[in-house]
Amino acid sequence: MSDTRSELPELDPVIHAQARLRVVSALSQLREADSIAFPRLQEILRMTAGNLSVHLRKLEDAGYVAVVKTHRGRTPATLVRLTRRGRLAFDDYVIALRALLNQPEEGS
Amino acid sequence: MASIDDESTFDDPAEALRLIDLERANLERELAPDPRLMYWPWGLAWLIGSGLFFLRWGPDERVLVALPDWLPITVMTVLLMVAGTITGMLGARSSRAVRGLSTRQGQMFGFAWSAGIAGLVLVFSRLSDVVPVSRQGILWGGGLVALIGALYMAGAAIWDDRSTFVLGAWISGINIVGVLAGPGWHALIVAVAGGGGLLVAGLIGWSRRR
Repeated sequence: MSDTRSELPELDPVIHAQARLRVVSALSQLREADSIAFPRLQEILRMTAGNLSVHLRKLEDAGYVAVVKTHRGRTPATLVRLTRRGRLAFDDYVIALRALLNQPEEGS
Repeated sequence: MASIDDESTFDDPAEALRLIDLERANLERELAPDPRLMYWPWGLAWLIGSGLFFLRWGPDERVLVALPDWLPITVMTVLLMVAGTITGMLGARSSRAVRGLSTRQGQMFGFAWSAGIAGLVLVFSRLSDVVPVSRQGILWGGGLVALIGALYMAGAAIWDDRSTFVLGAWISGINIVGVLAGPGWHALIVAVAGGGGLLVAGLIGWSRRR
């Protein structure tokens, strides 16, 4: 490890896990203030319900995702959306990735 | 897609960026209805419906094919209703999973279509006694196509969608050319350039998302 490593941007550990990055990426494509139904998100991400719940919980704990249980008529519905904070964190994460890519490969 | 049960991370930032693009495109594709199904029913309705108008009421009041008077308008109405049903159902199905600002915008935009078309149909039917039959094609066709072109452009403004704007501008432009060219020609231009434009729009949209 050289000293240049310390200047590299740190990657948000909440987002920098494959499963959660996939969730956040998908949610970031929705427009701000739009939520998506849990089962549809699960279908689109091709994840199991349990797996998605676990990762959503972690994102929720970080304040990146809001999960709202509501009703559509009489049917219960769970709606998921990226919070403003989550959107900012995702933007920062993408900027950090780009910075890492542009970093010249100096003695490692 | 590989297993996602774990906390596995990336060593390669490029791989993470690829995954981001992949999932964003995937969500987009899953939520947006197939552009072919959104545009082709309308394209065919215009191509066939307006084409029949051209054959029955050609330029200079010529009858190119002696179709019964009721046939073009009936075929056109049925095809437009089928197209409206298909795109309405697809739009509703794809937006069912999403709730929020987009849903309200979509509903309001849908009402704008219904209100605009209903308003024009009402005005035109009130005028049908005083407008000569040879000019009614221009009145109905020209009026409705002008509204549809403007609504496509307005929709493009709402969803910041450049290609829909181009489609709306194209429809508005050929409508003006058709109205200036006169009855008969208008029907031909709307059938070929308008219907054809919608078919091309569906094809371009479809090829882009593959």
